Amino acid sequence: MNSEMNKKGASVGFLVKVGIFKTLRVVFLSTFSLLMIYPLYWLITSSFKTNEEFFTQPYAFPTSFTFENFQRAWDVANLGQAMVNSAIVTVTATILTVFLGALTAYVLSRFTFKLKGFLVVFFLLGMLIPVHSTLVPLFTMMNEIGLLDSYWALILPYTAFELPIAIFLTVAYMSSIPKELEEAAVIDGSGYWGIFFKIMLPLSVPALSTVSILAFLRFWNEFVFALVFINDSALKTLPLSLAIFSDGFSTDYALTMAAMTIAVIPTIIMYLLFQEQIMKGMIAGSVKG
Amino acid sequence: MQSRLKLRGLLVMTLLPALLLYSFFVIIPIFRSSYYGFFEWSGMGDATFIGFQNYIEVVQSPIFWRAFKNNLIIVGASVLGQVPIALGLALLLRKSNMFQRFVRSAVFLPMVISTVVVGLIWGYIFDLELGVINTVLRNIGLESWTRAWLADPDVNMYAVSIPIIWNYIGPYLIIFIATIQNIPGEIEEAALLDGAIGWKKLIYIILPNMWGTIKVVIILCISGSLKAFDQVFVMTGGGPAQSTEILATYMYNNTFLVYRYGFGSAISTMIIILSLILIAISQILMKRKD
Repeated sequence: MNSEMNKKGASVGFLVKVGIFKTLRVVFLSTFSLLMIYPLYWLITSSFKTNEEFFTQPYAFPTSFTFENFQRAWDVANLGQAMVNSAIVTVTATILTVFLGALTAYVLSRFTFKLKGFLVVFFLLGMLIPVHSTLVPLFTMMNEIGLLDSYWALILPYTAFELPIAIFLTVAYMSSIPKELEEAAVIDGSGYWGIFFKIMLPLSVPALSTVSILAFLRFWNEFVFALVFINDSALKTLPLSLAIFSDGFSTDYALTMAAMTIAVIPTIIMYLLFQEQIMKGMIAGSVKG
Repeated sequence: MQSRLKLRGLLVMTLLPALLLYSFFVIIPIFRSSYYGFFEWSGMGDATFIGFQNYIEVVQSPIFWRAFKNNLIIVGASVLGQVPIALGLALLLRKSNMFQRFVRSAVFLPMVISTVVVGLIWGYIFDLELGVINTVLRNIGLESWTRAWLADPDVNMYAVSIPIIWNYIGPYLIIFIATIQNIPGEIEEAALLDGAIGWKKLIYIILPNMWGTIKVVIILCISGSLKAFDQVFVMTGGGPAQSTEILATYMYNNTFLVYRYGFGSAISTMIIILSLILIAISQILMKRKD
């Protein structure tokens, strides 16, 4: 906008105005970004403080970095176990989501059959349903089949609720893959499964990696299902153990902060590595819903 | 013929696992909860059929409607907070230099943070003694403004909405930026020839071209904020004295704290009905304005 103004042969006064506008914009945007990041900055710096330091200087930069809080969080609050549980549930559910999503997307993007239109709408419906409205019935259903208090109590519903997004992101991508590649494979004697594993899966890697990053973040952070379906403390995932031990240890701020930092670090690393994919994927998912 | 059979077998084999999993965990629960809404049931033992009693109790409960009103406060705060902030930022962030990309990343960052952590950190931020908000107020001489933000029923619903606003600005910002960048260059050039620069350009060129996107974002914002639960649950649990109760916490507390599964199921059904009605109303209103 400003360069266009310059083109019109602006006066000195005009240039000063543009300069002021530019400066104000930078100041405003910087302040706003810092406000957005501040809660996390405060969380991470606080987790390096001792409790005394936290109470006397809650907002100062830590005077020395102590890793004692992390050690205690890991041992006392059993966060190590929680991390293992989160990892098992997240990784298994992510693999399941990607595989089932890709398989369904392959069929929906490559074959025409009677129920296809119905299936597309049926899967779209899932994105409209508020997750917490399924808590009570899911709890009683899983109770009846004895699924509660197991990894599967989380893996299966996580996968089921992520499937619609996975399917739609993958269908969109697979539809853009040229059909000639498959025809060549058919001539070489490949069946449908051969085409799926040798052609469609490898070619869809960009879409599948977006799906898996989104699924990973969602499963890693998921809270309500874990809250309701998991009671056994040996099976608690990270968000669940954070929510619960924040009551018991609520005066031990340093410990709570360190525990939260441990939970947040993997997702921040993911974000730094795959920012563009995360942004695009999350938006595609939300607009479809 | 054989290949058609083979194809049918393949379709069934490939679609069945996803379809079963999805139906069992996502679709069937909706029907189960409306069915169990007709029973008095403690979660164990026999369920007694009581007709519409649970549904009538839900609709007549003042706390249910307070919870619904609180949900609407969150929806309103999200629409009035997230949409203007995202739109304003997007207008300032049209280039993709390093600095502007940094601002974008910073605004989007809360999207990847666990909602439990979001609730806990903001719980500390609102803390009466240690919280950063009260500390800042005390330091700038506004001691009288300090209060227990999450406990004071006059303000706590608004306080609870702030972390939710903070949490979800990112996607809307990115959507708006993409729309602005997609405004065809010819339109901008033609406008420039007509002397539309600065504010004029904003009002006559950019905003009219964005109206479609703004409507979509408002609908996304409404349906998204109806799903809010974690942050409220972690910060207040619906208290004190049910002053921050939202529909989901009301359902949770009735089912899993006092074991009224039938009643909780009736609330779940009402949540789905009310959410769908709200989304439908917002879509109709948005369409009419065209």
